[in-house]
Amino acid sequence: MPSRSAAIVWLFAKEWRELLASRAWWVMLVVMGPLVGMSFISAVTAYGELSGANGTAEGVGQAFSPLTGIWAPTFSACELAAAFLLPFVAIRLVSGDRQSGAMKIEMQHSLSSFTRISVKATMLMLGWLIATAAPLLGVALWASYGGHIDAPELLSVFAGHVLNGGLTIALAATAAALTEHPATAAIVTLTVTVGTWLINFAAAVNGGWWERAAAFTPTAMVAEFQRGLVRADIIIAAAVLIFLGLALAAVWLRIGSSVAQRARTSVALVAMAAVAIAGAVRVRASWDVSEGRYNSFSRADEVAMRTIHGELKVRAHFAPEDPRRSDLEYRGMRKLRRAVPHADIEYVSKTSTGLFEQTNDQYGEISYELDGRKVVSRITTAEGVRDAVFAVANLQLGPNSSEDDEFRGHPLAATPRGAGAIFYGIWPVITAALAVFIQWRSA
Amino acid sequence: MVIRITGLTKQYGSIRALDRVSFDVRPGEVLGVIGPNGSGKTTLFECIGGVLPFDDGRIESESQSLFYLPDGIGPWPAQTVSWALRYIEGYFGAPAGMRDALIAALSLEPLLNKRIGHLSKGQRKRALLAIGLLTSRQVLFADEPFDGLDLRQTREVAQALRSFTRDGRTLVLSIHQIADAARVCDRFVLLSGGTIRGAGTLPELIALASERQQASIAGLEEAFLALT
Repeated sequence: MPSRSAAIVWLFAKEWRELLASRAWWVMLVVMGPLVGMSFISAVTAYGELSGANGTAEGVGQAFSPLTGIWAPTFSACELAAAFLLPFVAIRLVSGDRQSGAMKIEMQHSLSSFTRISVKATMLMLGWLIATAAPLLGVALWASYGGHIDAPELLSVFAGHVLNGGLTIALAATAAALTEHPATAAIVTLTVTVGTWLINFAAAVNGGWWERAAAFTPTAMVAEFQRGLVRADIIIAAAVLIFLGLALAAVWLRIGSSVAQRARTSVALVAMAAVAIAGAVRVRASWDVSEGRYNSFSRADEVAMRTIHGELKVRAHFAPEDPRRSDLEYRGMRKLRRAVPHADIEYVSKTSTGLFEQTNDQYGEISYELDGRKVVSRITTAEGVRDAVFAVANLQLGPNSSEDDEFRGHPLAATPRGAGAIFYGIWPVITAALAVFIQWRSA
Repeated sequence: MVIRITGLTKQYGSIRALDRVSFDVRPGEVLGVIGPNGSGKTTLFECIGGVLPFDDGRIESESQSLFYLPDGIGPWPAQTVSWALRYIEGYFGAPAGMRDALIAALSLEPLLNKRIGHLSKGQRKRALLAIGLLTSRQVLFADEPFDGLDLRQTREVAQALRSFTRDGRTLVLSIHQIADAARVCDRFVLLSGGTIRGAGTLPELIALASERQQASIAGLEEAFLALT
């Protein structure tokens, strides 16, 4: 019997070869070029047009952030690939061993089923990282145009898509392990993906617990990273879900155990994961890595707000579908949650649209309560929220309170030169040629 | 005794696939488990190999001493025979030189650069036997090792298998072709309807069958028919 590490090295080598032999992976790699190209070219074009020929116009600095203007759209191709291409690559790699009978041979080694699935997942993640070379090429092109790159912002967007890839791999591995046929696994995976979209839809309509659950769907998680907000609760929850997916896959791929035994282990794993996620939800640590501080009040305002020790109670009377509610959430409340982590913020409404609640005097009001004092406002902007909080907390607004670290933006009137040739021509041709060459060489 | 199976029972819903199966495997022997299709041979091997859970009974063996080679599989179809052998050699830690010996014994040289998914049934069977033997486990349980092989290939493979028992390894083969079993096995276990109908060497089985039939029995085929 060889050493455990030698066997693991051989497993890595085998999974790498299996990845290279996977047509699904090569197709994903080829398609990534045009997918990224479309979003990169339209993003650079729009960014250039908004920047004008001679730089920015005053007051629209936020529109010229590469984070929202370039990175988010360019990397959005990864979101599409993670939903519709990566699952098939993962299912092929996991189901392939079961279909061909290789699993019955490999599982007779003393290595645990979890070790085997972890090696597979690691190799799939490597495959995913290789696929993300396409948007990284977009970053290089952007730099060649003279575009500004803020490393933390870029890393945040990249990390979001890496986590999303990990979640997709874990989900596909679970589906492949639970079902006998790859086609069934693909249907299960897509059903879960569509299910998370339904949760997002229900959250937009119903708010409440749906909204809290929706914060942990892959789409919402990626969106947070795309805004430059790195949230500890999301990272922990994603890590728990990835571990749960791989552990479930390991349980259902293990040979020689009864279905009842596997079901019992699965229930225990799901229960443990639920406890871990419930704990993760309470973790409030987050880091705003956006250069324009999109997720934070100004530093001076935040310092002042940190002196609030009583329970700040905010009740916003807006229905889930009321556009003012999303304005308030994205401009004010998410910043308030970060500045005053113990704030108790709740949206109140009787209907989902709020259309027939307009006659109620309270509708549209935002009440702020602290230590018996109450301030009512109807302003949904960041400044409105800040002013109301300062008023209820008896804080003094400093001079230039919100302008001390105002983001001026990075306009760039560039055209996407060479991007079309690279993404629509060179990338697909090179990846397709590599695929053919590698398949031919291994034959 | 390298493996002792006692009272092994496996139920699929209301169907009892194995009913209190008991037998021993002795060191260095080639033991043939013979039975018609559906007699429970594969279920028995999968239970012993740890692939299937069983409902009752006991399997006593030295840990890590056995390897089960399933029938009808085509692992790593995109990889070449050469690479698969190197992989198994590294993954299971085969002794140096064993791979070359197996390539020669099972006439695999012309197949080395072919992908496993492109092999014929007989070629794949030979490659799989090499994989099973390369695991260097003391006991190899091979399910239908001669299925898909022509007469010449069967003889070659039987000879190769025998040669690997000379260094102390033990083979347990599930076979439904009685002529093949008679050619290669030292002892036999007759399985039918999930129960053991007889076990022993050819003379022992003939004696048992003659006694049951109260008539003269000539060979393994007749003994098998008389006992099952």
